[in-house]
Amino acid sequence: MSEDPPLLELDTVSVTFENRPGLFEFGDEAEQVRAVDDVSLTIESNDVVSLVGESGCGKTTLGKTAIGLQRPTSGTVRFRGEDIWAIRDGSTETTQSWADVRASLQIIHQDPGSSLNPNRRLLSILSEPLRQVRPTLGASERRERIYSLLERVGMNPAPDFADRYPHQLSGGEQQRVALARALLMNPDVILADEAISALDVSLRVEMMDLMLELQSVFDTSFIFISHDLSNARYFTQHANGKIAVMYLGRIAEISSAEQLIHNPQHPYTSVLRWATPDLGADVSTPEAIPMRTIDVPDPVDPPSGCRFHTRCPEAREHCTAVEPDPLPAGGADVRCFRVRDGSPYWNSPPLDEEESSSS
Amino acid sequence: MAQTDHPDDPIATLEDVSVTYDDGTSFVLDGVSLHVERGEILGIVGESGSGKSMLASSLLDAVPDPGYLSGSITYRSDDETIDVLELGQSELRSLRWEEISMVFQGAMSSFNPTMRIRDHFIETIDAHDGNVQAGMDRARQLLADLYLDPDRVLESFPHELSGGMQQRALIALSLVLDPELLVMDEPTAALDLLMQQSILLLLRELQEKYELTMIFITHDLALVGALADRLAVMYAFDIVELAPKQQLLSNPSHPYTRALLNSTPNLQAPLAQMRPIEGQSPAPINVPSGCSYNPRCPLATEECRTTDPPMDAPAPEHSVACFYWEKAQYEIELNYATEQSGGDYS
Repeated sequence: MSEDPPLLELDTVSVTFENRPGLFEFGDEAEQVRAVDDVSLTIESNDVVSLVGESGCGKTTLGKTAIGLQRPTSGTVRFRGEDIWAIRDGSTETTQSWADVRASLQIIHQDPGSSLNPNRRLLSILSEPLRQVRPTLGASERRERIYSLLERVGMNPAPDFADRYPHQLSGGEQQRVALARALLMNPDVILADEAISALDVSLRVEMMDLMLELQSVFDTSFIFISHDLSNARYFTQHANGKIAVMYLGRIAEISSAEQLIHNPQHPYTSVLRWATPDLGADVSTPEAIPMRTIDVPDPVDPPSGCRFHTRCPEAREHCTAVEPDPLPAGGADVRCFRVRDGSPYWNSPPLDEEESSSS
Repeated sequence: MAQTDHPDDPIATLEDVSVTYDDGTSFVLDGVSLHVERGEILGIVGESGSGKSMLASSLLDAVPDPGYLSGSITYRSDDETIDVLELGQSELRSLRWEEISMVFQGAMSSFNPTMRIRDHFIETIDAHDGNVQAGMDRARQLLADLYLDPDRVLESFPHELSGGMQQRALIALSLVLDPELLVMDEPTAALDLLMQQSILLLLRELQEKYELTMIFITHDLALVGALADRLAVMYAFDIVELAPKQQLLSNPSHPYTRALLNSTPNLQAPLAQMRPIEGQSPAPINVPSGCSYNPRCPLATEECRTTDPPMDAPAPEHSVACFYWEKAQYEIELNYATEQSGGDYS
């Protein structure tokens, strides 16, 4: 097909961080952490891709890599078909400018309070990005745009809010300002990194609704990072996007929100599903933790074979030796042998019930 | 369920407890009365700025200066009744940790970053004149109960542990002096959901093993719903509804409780039926007269605007501060299926 290339495309991207030995620890080898390991992902325009997983699973690193804030150790990130790091390095084969790419890919952080300059009023905070991208805009025009955007994100009366300092706003209002600031750049993709996690539960739906509403107005795609499956489901399903479940740098399962919630294929997805509180069906105290250990293994030395095998309730000998490739299963891509009937997994003996050690 | 054997054996009783930061014109805790039963897990739910953390601090007479705490707080250990607000500094010091212990959100700021975990335990035991040897044995047992490797954790500095491990080590530390009552203020808020659920499960195990009473304070109703025996909902610096967990979730009776439940992202509920609560919670300086929820309440009448509703009892052990709780039960629909429909008792 001769269609346009996808808006944003990650092609076998890996990110490795190195922990160099300190001054007094000579002799030690540099420790390497593969925060993101061989991930491919596509984001179309007007799309939502949610990344869910535990702390330290690499979802933030993957998100930052996708919007060009983190350079991948290997693999390519393409924006409108062009390698963004080639653009950054001034390759002659690219047509876009780095400034355009940067403006097109925006981020909203988890803690809105610390991403807004406490010493400046909102008007001045929001003027700064506009001055960068639209240097020709006059002061009054700039103010008009800021006011109309503040109204768009539900902050009325805008002139009153524009005159305030960040500490005079509630957490929800601060996050709206952060969203407004990202939207001023007229971006194609916004990375919302746990953007609603610091808000009260009762305010999260409202904030997600606002983001969804603005998505259709501004024609923006979202990469939505969350450790909470019910938030990811709400946001993703409304926008008809995909949820990717990450575990130790890899995507364990990716599929539509509906499919992921109601028919999880990977045992790890089921564990996350277990951890998401339900109000309706069963409010009794949950039974045992459906995992063999509580803590995530050390990412410096990830387990052999399938990375989840040390905690997986379904793990067998085969999982310790061989790493599963992503397999299509019912609309999802799943890194687990269990989705194939003929897999050697089924003839392999179950792992011994090890003592549930802590580390 | 760890419902108490002695339903009338309160470990702590609060009567008309208020906290003010000016001379009594505005309150950040407004006349709260509450019994905590021995051996129960009580969940206290409220949004930011509803006064829930102030309630926790009040229990230990630890309201930050210059707040003024009034009312009465009694604590009953096995043989004596203690009036918490009458205690002197040294008595208060032994009440804290030895009888009532507290865990806050964000373990990283509770630990001293330059001290090993072991030294935190030793210091705590020492400060309360405990036997260090016996205390450390208990510490090891507690750490193991929380699925931590005692040898590794005790030798670690706080930053060498993951967030979940730090928070579990902090819970172990809070229990090292064998307190009766454990008060936790958002103990899992900074952690991912999987770790939160795991810790809740461990807390339930600890509660049974050490016969603890627990108060768990959070903004996340769905989370504490899985753990608690009873739930109290706070709005605008007071408790508006209190009931056994199952009762509260299947027959919530305060319009605010129902709106709060409907605003919670929930895997079961149809997407279109999750909606935010209209309006904003009041600040202490402009709490509405009458029922504090009336400006946001779809059922509010003139009566609600003028008169503060007293506690009513829709069911035994269920109390709600609303004139129209019966109406609320059928007029404000919940977005998740409940086993019982509202109002099937009277």
